Amino acid sequence: MKKIKILLAKLGLDVHNRGLITVAKTLCDAGYEIVYINNAFPKEIISTAIQESVDVVGVSSLCGAHITLGRKLLEEAATYELKEEMIFLIGGVFSPLDIPILEEIGFNKVFTTDITTNQIDLDIKNLINS
Amino acid sequence: MKKTKEISHEPDLKIPNTILGSQIPRDLFYIPDPNFNYDNDLGDPGEPPYTRGIHRSMFRGRNFTTRQLAGLGLPEDTNERMKFMLDHGATGLSILFDLPTIQMYDSDDSFSEGQIGMSGVCVDSVDDMFRLFKDIPLDKTSISIVTHYPTNTLVLLPMFLVMAEEQGIPFDKLRGSSQNDMTMEELVRSGIDFIPPQDCFRIQNDNIEYLSDHAPNWNTVTLNGYNLRDFGATSITESAVAISNGIATLEEMSERGYDPNEIAKRISFFWCISNDFFEEIARLRAVRRLWFKIMKNRFNITDPKALLMRCHSQTSGISLTQVEPYNNIIRSSFQALAAVLGGTSSLHVDSYDEAYAIPTEESALLSLRTQQIIQKETAITDVVDPLGGSYYVENLTNEIEQKILDEIDIIESDGGYVKSIESGKIYNKIVSYFTEQQKDIDSGKIEIVGKNVYQSDTSLPPIDVFQHSEEVEKEQKQRLANLRLTRNNDDVQISLQALEYNCKRNKNLFPYSMECARARCTEGEIFRTILSAFGPWKPPSFI
Repeated sequence: MKKIKILLAKLGLDVHNRGLITVAKTLCDAGYEIVYINNAFPKEIISTAIQESVDVVGVSSLCGAHITLGRKLLEEAATYELKEEMIFLIGGVFSPLDIPILEEIGFNKVFTTDITTNQIDLDIKNLINS
Repeated sequence: MKKTKEISHEPDLKIPNTILGSQIPRDLFYIPDPNFNYDNDLGDPGEPPYTRGIHRSMFRGRNFTTRQLAGLGLPEDTNERMKFMLDHGATGLSILFDLPTIQMYDSDDSFSEGQIGMSGVCVDSVDDMFRLFKDIPLDKTSISIVTHYPTNTLVLLPMFLVMAEEQGIPFDKLRGSSQNDMTMEELVRSGIDFIPPQDCFRIQNDNIEYLSDHAPNWNTVTLNGYNLRDFGATSITESAVAISNGIATLEEMSERGYDPNEIAKRISFFWCISNDFFEEIARLRAVRRLWFKIMKNRFNITDPKALLMRCHSQTSGISLTQVEPYNNIIRSSFQALAAVLGGTSSLHVDSYDEAYAIPTEESALLSLRTQQIIQKETAITDVVDPLGGSYYVENLTNEIEQKILDEIDIIESDGGYVKSIESGKIYNKIVSYFTEQQKDIDSGKIEIVGKNVYQSDTSLPPIDVFQHSEEVEKEQKQRLANLRLTRNNDDVQISLQALEYNCKRNKNLFPYSMECARARCTEGEIFRTILSAFGPWKPPSFI
């Protein structure tokens, strides 16, 4: 079976990458193909997603840019009609009030810091299958 | 170095599973060490080897500085928060910048969009420094400017100094510190633009050189263990990397003709205090003793003030949980207590809402109050090194000191501090450690109350967390547009060209950055000049 391909990026200028590195390594061990691009902005993330024709785009934000840049990311994805083809995930540190906003923006799943990496794996498989 | 006693109760050994712990096995109980020698191992407080504390009277003489971080929104918002903290008895301040400022882009740079004033205060030029420090007595308040990186320090600290200069405050009246630590710029952070480690190390030492010559009471470098630890390292690695940078710095400054006695006096440390209570206490004691030995034996330092490991400590951000956030108050309080029992000189206590956002005024006050309750209500600070002589703490102090020394030796045998950063050796070690840690958290081997043990179905009412104002970005961009129109743009160009030219020559860059600040160059303009002169560097990759 073809490996599920995931693009992972730090959204914007956020300096904190422990969480995303951990997710990348764990998903790599779990058999996913990982494209890791460090810090990037919505346009670059989407163009890389297209180039690499990934199945999943996962971004991480721990410093408050999640709404502004998260919205741009999904708008950019809509421009290329990717929302039907790819799964969009966001993880990081968010105010509880922001979680429904992120879901409304169009992220298929929002992960907070209390999630386990196994759960991320399961959620991706469920989203791919549904 | 004294060998640690052989542990004889093998079946009673237990490895503590704690967040970012060293996993040093512990005995069931500890007995007196037959080789213990009070004068050699401990000495009185304020006496070599300073295990018990850097001053004889410690907190009775002068209590630890209650120094909370402040940084949000526009400079005026942070100014208000600083005054609020000072009005409530804070004895120090730390200024935290927003991401664009930390990563050195202007507020009107496309990279900065949506991030201005979010997780700290936005600063673009000297004018913002004036707004930030309005009515704060610079010659009377100890101010820590958290310019994490050497390059950041080279860009932002001149703006602070020029602000003082234009107010007529002599630099020798300024007391405080900047971080100026290459570990932060080249190892800990994730980012877009990096300069090569060698150049970064040069800038770190250019900054030290200028500050030593011109601002003698300024702490020129804060060796930052904290962020490396919260990036995902043990207290051993945290200490070893920070000390290794200290060693490399003193060697470099000696080569530049400076007396290590003068340079070491202005080196301070910043430690992360996590959950393994006794380990953190023992670690602070161990580092004090080890730093003293290195200063005395390796650098032949004789000035007693240059033998002291002075430090600021902060409770561990990554030990905080989003679930049941009030539990974080308890976690931070225990960590604060460990820092105090370990003899920290200065302290920040994380707030319970920081797993969600930067603290509100209410939660920041609670953190300050946590410190003040320790100082005023518990009598803990009345006796120096209260755990000195505990069989357990002394044993652990010895063992941690040896382990830190072993890791310093590894860094040296890998070619030294700068080389080990360049090659990715330290980076890879840390990444392997924290990936394994996460598995232990996921599996429940590391227990976190409310998160993976004693989980509750009761849903608690949500806490109020900091909400960002949309107006900040608009206002800051407007200010920057005004600045670009009203300043003398010829002066801007000339000062930037002088800086760029001298990046390529073997001249100290700080005076040229001071000229840029005086000409009202912006942070982004100065940084991009440095970046284009030194060229990009690609940090090591883990994949």
